[in-house]
Amino acid sequence: MSGEREIPGGDHAAEEAASWFVRLQGGAATGADWLAFEGWLQAAPAHASAYEALERLWVDLDNATLVRDLGDCPVMRSAAPRAVNANRRAWIGAGAALAASLVLAAGVGLWPASHVKPQIFRTAPGQTRQITLADGTHIRLNAASEISISLDRDARRVRMADAEAVFDVTHDPARPFLIAVGDRQVRVVGTEFNLRHREGMVALTVRRGVVEVRPVDAPQAQPTRVAVGQQLAHAEGQSAQTLSAAEPDAAFAWTNGQLIYRDRPLSEVAGDLTRRFGVPVRAADPQTAALRFTGVLVTDDEAAVLRRLEAFAPVTASRHADGVVLRRKRAG
Amino acid sequence: MDRDGKSALIATYLERRADLVRFFTLRLRSSSAAEDLVQEIYVRLASVDGLSDIQNPAAYLYRLGSNLMLDRLRGQRRTAHRDAAWLDSQTTRMGAHEVSPEPSAEAAVAARQRLAQLNAALTELGAQTQRVFRMHKFEGLSHPEVAQALGISRSAVEKHMMQALKHLLARLP
Repeated sequence: MSGEREIPGGDHAAEEAASWFVRLQGGAATGADWLAFEGWLQAAPAHASAYEALERLWVDLDNATLVRDLGDCPVMRSAAPRAVNANRRAWIGAGAALAASLVLAAGVGLWPASHVKPQIFRTAPGQTRQITLADGTHIRLNAASEISISLDRDARRVRMADAEAVFDVTHDPARPFLIAVGDRQVRVVGTEFNLRHREGMVALTVRRGVVEVRPVDAPQAQPTRVAVGQQLAHAEGQSAQTLSAAEPDAAFAWTNGQLIYRDRPLSEVAGDLTRRFGVPVRAADPQTAALRFTGVLVTDDEAAVLRRLEAFAPVTASRHADGVVLRRKRAG
Repeated sequence: MDRDGKSALIATYLERRADLVRFFTLRLRSSSAAEDLVQEIYVRLASVDGLSDIQNPAAYLYRLGSNLMLDRLRGQRRTAHRDAAWLDSQTTRMGAHEVSPEPSAEAAVAARQRLAQLNAALTELGAQTQRVFRMHKFEGLSHPEVAQALGISRSAVEKHMMQALKHLLARLP
């Protein structure tokens, strides 16, 4: 600090505010540091205003963009070598194109020994669950889902099996929030988004903030940034992913007991209903499965939902011993 | 282990409660707002369902409260940004002048201008300062992680961060 040169025209309170802010964000701060900070705040009214200006700046920077300097940014490769590299080697060692389910089956053994044992959360069909983590992050887990969570010192890590969840992640620059989902890694700074991983398809919809996605086995790759109102869709095993404009409310609708579809295959609707009610719902044939569906289904009770589906889509729903079968109505 | 971490935090909370209220009264300029916030810290602690591995419980509580304040601030600022986005879609441009359909959109315009200024000011930072700033603020790496990734010391990371913030503050009105 003593060696710093003054910014021309910059005032002292602003500089001191920046120093405090950085030190308290650094993660090494102690209770005594916070008491010293309190003393500084009290020392002059200008101090509190300078600190508030800095907080406004920090928050507004959430929406700022800094063009990346390409080529020299081995962020993940070297940033957290204990955790990420160990994971990555193990994943690659087990076969680069390993299916997500296999990775997850082996998952627990891959967590570096220095980390806390992950905690596993499951929901049965028809059941949802609210989880609040130690850092204040809220997770709402949809039906028939499984995720494991480990709050490590250097990062918060989540592995997502076949699952769908809304994440409202507390901002904590000292501990990035990392989600392994299939062959993608999602990196979060502090935001709210819905992440769906069903039958090998990954869909990410952001309601607030920005989320970064990159392949699990190429952590140094340029990440794809997904912003508010965008949706990233990706089929596991393929290199492609598409980024499109999306209405966030549709992806979040399940948290309000609704399912919203815009031109989706009926097979997806059948899968969602199976998970929602715990009764298998399937399409009778590929033609039925491929029908496109657009509409809102309120998921109050099974019979009512099926009646509405019959009204909105050219299908009939019939109940059998082993579940519900959807069949395309004959033309004419 | 989880339970121990949590009960240690709650013990620290009870011990430091008066300190926290005093601190946040200073920050919020209102003792009742401070009481609410300190109560919310407790609610967050009590609803903990995951694991915790916290080295410095007292600092954790101050930081949790400070982050709650930042989140509230985010909520307030976000409204202006959303209005700015709305304005972008609604505004008709006539030459260089914007014809706004909404006379009360000044705040939204200000938010958008500020964002443009921020983006410009960021590009003025030195290459290494930019790198440090980006990794910490936009990619969420901690100071030690940034230090390790770039092969520099933690205090160098802090220095770059301070430099960046001072520059941004100096460039904005």
